[in-house]
Amino acid sequence: MNGDAFRVRQIDLGSVCADADAGDTPSLSIFWWKDLPLGMRASLPDELPYSEARLRQFAAEFSAAQLAARSTPLGAPLRATYEGSPKSALCLTAALGAEDLVGRLDELATASSASAQHISVVICTRDRGPALAECLQSVARQRSAPGEVIVVDNSRDGSARPVCIGFPEVRYVHEPRPGLSVARSAGIRESRQDIIAFTDDDVEVHPGWTAEIARAFEERDVEALTGLVLPARLDTIAQRRFQFDMGGFGTTFVPLLFDRRFFDETRPSGAHVWKIGAGANMAFRRSAFDRVGSFDERLGAGAAGCSEDSELWYRLLATGGTCLYEPRAVVFHHHRRDWPGFRQQIRAYMKGHVAALVTQYDNFGDRGNIDRIWKQLPAYFLRTFVKALFEGPPGRTRILAAEVEGWLAGLQFLVRFGWRKRRTSNWLRKKIDDPQGAARTIPVSKSLSKRSDRRPFLP
Amino acid sequence: MGYKIVDIELSIPLAPVELAPEHDGVGLIARWQGRLVGFEMIALASAAILSAEQLKSIADERFADRILVAKMDKELLRRRPVGQLPLPSLSIAICTKDRAERLSRLLGSLDSIRLGTAFPSVEVVVVDNASVDSSTREAVGRFKDVLYVFEPRPGLDFARNAALHSASGGLIAYLDDDVVVDRNWLDGLAKACRDNPGAGGFTGLVLPLRLDTEAQIFFERRGGFGRGFRRNEFHNTRFDNALHPVGSGILGAGCNMAFDRTLLVSLGGFDEALDTGAPLPGGGDLDIFYRVLRSGRPMIYEPEYAVYHEHRETIEQLRRQYWTWGLGMMAFLVKSRRTDGELKARHRGMVCWWFFDRLKALARAARKLQGRDLRFGIAELWGGIYGLAGEYDRSRIRVQRIREQNR
Repeated sequence: MNGDAFRVRQIDLGSVCADADAGDTPSLSIFWWKDLPLGMRASLPDELPYSEARLRQFAAEFSAAQLAARSTPLGAPLRATYEGSPKSALCLTAALGAEDLVGRLDELATASSASAQHISVVICTRDRGPALAECLQSVARQRSAPGEVIVVDNSRDGSARPVCIGFPEVRYVHEPRPGLSVARSAGIRESRQDIIAFTDDDVEVHPGWTAEIARAFEERDVEALTGLVLPARLDTIAQRRFQFDMGGFGTTFVPLLFDRRFFDETRPSGAHVWKIGAGANMAFRRSAFDRVGSFDERLGAGAAGCSEDSELWYRLLATGGTCLYEPRAVVFHHHRRDWPGFRQQIRAYMKGHVAALVTQYDNFGDRGNIDRIWKQLPAYFLRTFVKALFEGPPGRTRILAAEVEGWLAGLQFLVRFGWRKRRTSNWLRKKIDDPQGAARTIPVSKSLSKRSDRRPFLP
Repeated sequence: MGYKIVDIELSIPLAPVELAPEHDGVGLIARWQGRLVGFEMIALASAAILSAEQLKSIADERFADRILVAKMDKELLRRRPVGQLPLPSLSIAICTKDRAERLSRLLGSLDSIRLGTAFPSVEVVVVDNASVDSSTREAVGRFKDVLYVFEPRPGLDFARNAALHSASGGLIAYLDDDVVVDRNWLDGLAKACRDNPGAGGFTGLVLPLRLDTEAQIFFERRGGFGRGFRRNEFHNTRFDNALHPVGSGILGAGCNMAFDRTLLVSLGGFDEALDTGAPLPGGGDLDIFYRVLRSGRPMIYEPEYAVYHEHRETIEQLRRQYWTWGLGMMAFLVKSRRTDGELKARHRGMVCWWFFDRLKALARAARKLQGRDLRFGIAELWGGIYGLAGEYDRSRIRVQRIREQNR
């Protein structure tokens, strides 16, 4: 099971009735109904090809979940539960009254044709030429062209410039100061449109990506949006471990609303904002940055590790904003191929997570963040360890070791008082205490214009 | 103390449920257009009334999602009908020992559904497994078209094998004598057959027949024999469980299972050293599920192929049953480890996992001071240890002796 590469295949349950798979390799099947992603399932060769009955079962179960999550008469929209998963709000009367389900599903699966001219796509990259080229190609194939595409080159020597020359519609920006947050802030500064959509250089976006983002912002009054991140390939053991054991970048296929209630419910353990989505597929209204500031430069790849995205969502939710997870906006992520790289990534995730918890504590004084560092995370390590010993999956302990290392490395941020003093949001707390102040928005463009400003979102 | 079992149809207006004074809860069997969609146990005050509103809110919470899935399934099926492959002839095999009354109850429930089935022919074979008196034979005589077979060697798997060889159907469906079939039992099996050409076997839903005693309620609360209301499919390997198919208990239970008869004959039938009655009353179903999957044929779990099982009545009987589960599981593992060398690592893994899981459950019961769970847990664990320590070999010797005595 460890040895074989998994084929990643796409199956449209709306048109396929028999699975033509040869059943010779294990595969991760991603199910769609036309343009609507429904769900996914990993299977070994013995379980393949799927029988007709199996496909019908998948279609019935997945699409019932979609209908319940997307049809207002059936209880939509769904709020995220404590676990960050959907909880159906379907009632008996609605279920009995629902007619022509396939017709409704067809409607839901209609691809968005919304214009994306008001969207700025920002791609931050660092020394990954070939991957970036693929990413830009996928952006160029969008059904609805975005208003602009900005590549922020975070390399020292501007190595992405030659790649970008091949794409005339791309605006190239060089930001030599290292750090993903720095680069993303530079992207925000350079962008001109109302909605800013971020993706990464190791991602290929679905042709409907921008159109779906545009539609979601049109239909819903939310400040931030995240989407579905699917694996592009599962060739190596590192990629499969990341996807299957660590859950990849999420496996939820129905839209979820993350709001103040979710924040309050999960607050005692540090508000589970990381469940909202992934930086590889997220978008914001510009006004969101005006309201709570940009990404914290102390966090993110190239700095503390990661979680710069979730820390920003934390600020949004803590101040009354809402984030929508809309899996119709799909990207395909190339997970790290090599084991050391994967291990490094897991370590960085945990380190960055601890750093973000410290930051969130400093910003808002929520004790839950510290409790998570000292209580919940060690408990999680212990639980995972015992479970890995007896139940597996094999190799889980090695990943756990990287997580523990990351946690230990992250503890330094608790005592790096200089680091902590460079806090992001003194003004933010002031705004919470002073509701009048909260009404005033801080023009982000002004505060971000000074490049030397280490805290770009402070007025 | 006891729960009233109520069968409700959700597609028509709900009527309130009134409890008799001896009832202090309800076991709700929920259907949508006849299709089973859920089962819930609800504790209430004695002689209480479960109003239509309360029923509706339970349905909102528990059954509405399954209704939507069932509806969607129906629409998809209408859009793309399944090819009408001819169904095999069916033999229903019932193995029984000294339980004429229960046998009559089961035969009665079968009588009412035998007519008008989609199967080209249905025969019923009753294997009388060395009953001490003639009451079983007499009970069978009161029903029409039932084949009576006497198996003198005591042991459930002797009886199952006798049925296998006496039956003539292409498909053989085994029932224990302590069940009653659901009214859709045959239709569910027919549906599963049509939907899954090539399947080696089928298992189905097992719901409680009665929840009259503390032991029955306790057992059903802990999950009973239920394997849920979702169809499932099992193959030789499984992505989400590295130990599969060694943990074949998830497939279902021996009281309601069906197989391609030719396959079963070619596999050599049931292992007679398992399921031998009092000394080792379990493991035979695990073993046959496992061997079918290992032969490369899939097995299907179909919730509409449902029976109602009469659970153990007393706490002492239930405690003994937990003991036998541990015993049967380990006897099965010891046997498989010996006969199927290829999967040795998985058998070892399963033994580790099983003991870990049961110890975990024990620790939880101890922490929460749940004395009964603790006792049952210890019984099961002890059964496991005893089973691991040579029970399969002891059973083989016993079975050999029975064979010689009945030569």
